[in-house]
Amino acid sequence: MSESLLRVNDLKTYFFTAEGVVKAVDNVNIEIKKEEVLGLVGESGCGKSTVALSVMRLVRDPGKIVGGEIWFNGEDLLKKGEGEMRKIRGAEISIIFQNPMSSLNPVFTVGSQIAEAIKLHQNVEKDKIKGKVAEILGKVGIPDPPKRMEDYPHEYSGGMAQRAMIAMALSCNPKLLIADEPTTNLDVTIQAQILELMKDLRKDFGASILLIGHDLGVISELSDKIAVMYAGKVVEYSDLTGIFQKPMHPYTQALLESIPRLDVETDRLRIIPGRVPRLINPPSGCRFHSRCEHTMKVCTEKEPLLTEVGQDHMVACHLHTSDSKSSNRRR
Amino acid sequence: MIRMSEPILEIVNLRKYFPIMGGVLLRQVSAIHAVDGVSFDIKHGETLGLVGESGCGKTTLSRVVLRLIEPTSGTVRYMGRDLFELSEKEMRKLRLEMAMIFQDPYASLNPRMTLADIVGEPLTIHGLARGEERKKRIIEVVKKVGLAPFHMYRYPHEFSGGEKQRIGIARTLTSNPKLLVADEPVSSLDVSVRAQILNLLKDLQEEFRFTYLYISHDLSTVKHMCDRVAVMYVGKVVELAPVKDLYINPLHPYTEALISAIPVPGRRAGENRIILKGAVPTPIDPPPGCRFNPRCPYSEPICAKEDPKFIEVRKGHFVACHLRK
Repeated sequence: MSESLLRVNDLKTYFFTAEGVVKAVDNVNIEIKKEEVLGLVGESGCGKSTVALSVMRLVRDPGKIVGGEIWFNGEDLLKKGEGEMRKIRGAEISIIFQNPMSSLNPVFTVGSQIAEAIKLHQNVEKDKIKGKVAEILGKVGIPDPPKRMEDYPHEYSGGMAQRAMIAMALSCNPKLLIADEPTTNLDVTIQAQILELMKDLRKDFGASILLIGHDLGVISELSDKIAVMYAGKVVEYSDLTGIFQKPMHPYTQALLESIPRLDVETDRLRIIPGRVPRLINPPSGCRFHSRCEHTMKVCTEKEPLLTEVGQDHMVACHLHTSDSKSSNRRR
Repeated sequence: MIRMSEPILEIVNLRKYFPIMGGVLLRQVSAIHAVDGVSFDIKHGETLGLVGESGCGKTTLSRVVLRLIEPTSGTVRYMGRDLFELSEKEMRKLRLEMAMIFQDPYASLNPRMTLADIVGEPLTIHGLARGEERKKRIIEVVKKVGLAPFHMYRYPHEFSGGEKQRIGIARTLTSNPKLLVADEPVSSLDVSVRAQILNLLKDLQEEFRFTYLYISHDLSTVKHMCDRVAVMYVGKVVELAPVKDLYINPLHPYTEALISAIPVPGRRAGENRIILKGAVPTPIDPPPGCRFNPRCPYSEPICAKEDPKFIEVRKGHFVACHLRK
């Protein structure tokens, strides 16, 4: 359980646009242990999807991974050639996206698309492939798989299409499943079904999951550990209790108070002033300093590093680092 | 003086079917029962939430209520006047008092118009103000929604999503409306921006005594914003209750499942979460009897035969379910 499956060290993924260099992911460190679920949360544009694409080595032009290491199962993925990566994608690391309908090819049957993944990565005899496809569709809860696998994607509802995507992703028993906003486009009751399915499959398949999302409720359902991202950086990392009961970073705190919740009565929601900075020219020092209510002098000058503040709890904020506490008293 | 408890809007047995044409002669072969016999009131100054999953008819209902589309049958009375009996001209006048805030601020603002043009357009169309007075009014409204006068000559693409939604709100304010229909006003916005818009809507309501019809699929936001909530399922309102009643003691099995399905930050759903089977049925050929019966965990034989009546089981708490008689 404690063995590390994925370790991302100082990952830098920049986009070289005509307007300038967008530092979408800037020195990000994350770790996922075997059979663990890591939730990566943040608002749009914080770089969470870019982290996922970087791990898959699917960052497209003008984006480029310019630095860091991605250790997966003891090997650095950034040192792999494209041919080697192809063998890993789908077989050892697979990904499901937000919009299942646009991820499935409309002109092939759902079954044939899942069969393709199996044919590519597994040694299964030809006449047994169909049986395997039906088996996996049954596992994700598609009713009457031998019949429904002959359907085209448009004959599926949104929830069923997402089930089919999950089936495809799990068809080769990957070690790591990346789920990028897997329930964002689905209705609440269907979302509950998919989350329940992912919980069950997690037990059956024993895969680690990198769950990406903006909905703190959805993230809470599955994650063992949570990393909060802001403007291309991880600002806080902890388990469920750490993030929700004892959030340390001012951004995490503000984020939690700005969402209307079923279990809390509030008349007014907390507002985070300003807006997410543009990553072409990110603010100096701590990227949150212009919106933070605890800003000190050091925040504008020096970038805070992720520092251990408790067991399995790390935060990147000068309020919680020892050197700045001594020289810069809290207001 | 208007009494607060009186309805500003009464919806009676409203239906809207969209015909489906087919066959060689392109005759009507079937219909989408988007809104199918809906009745409720909205009181002065309250926020009524309308929740439901996609395709349940909530957006169609909002369009019919503003008479942006004509209903198949039924009545909508605004301050006692039947909207569908008004002429185009009278309706146009009345539109000053009703306005709509749309879901997607990117699509609902004309990219070729400046902020001042967009916000000032109702003034021009209704001939309310001209010249200096018009400008004064625009500045006033722009400030009200938290934008600055120097933004006036900028185009929509120069604003962020949250600011665009502020423009969408500003535009509705110029004509001094009484009833605002907000269709998923924050669902396309980021979490931290969402809070800004929700707070703004609440502040404006306090200041101008607006009545809101707040449409959303997000039950957490609806709980925060609304006084009463109506739950829709495949074209029908299945439950209507004061907000606290509904969330603490939901009476319809669908509402119960819907509330239990919402993931709460920092918590994992326990065993008591209700996971509904299957998906929402299509409104083209809705199931007979109670439309929820194929997915309902408590379904009984009568549910598949008879359509349950929408009845008041407690003061102000209406439900359409055979089990709650």
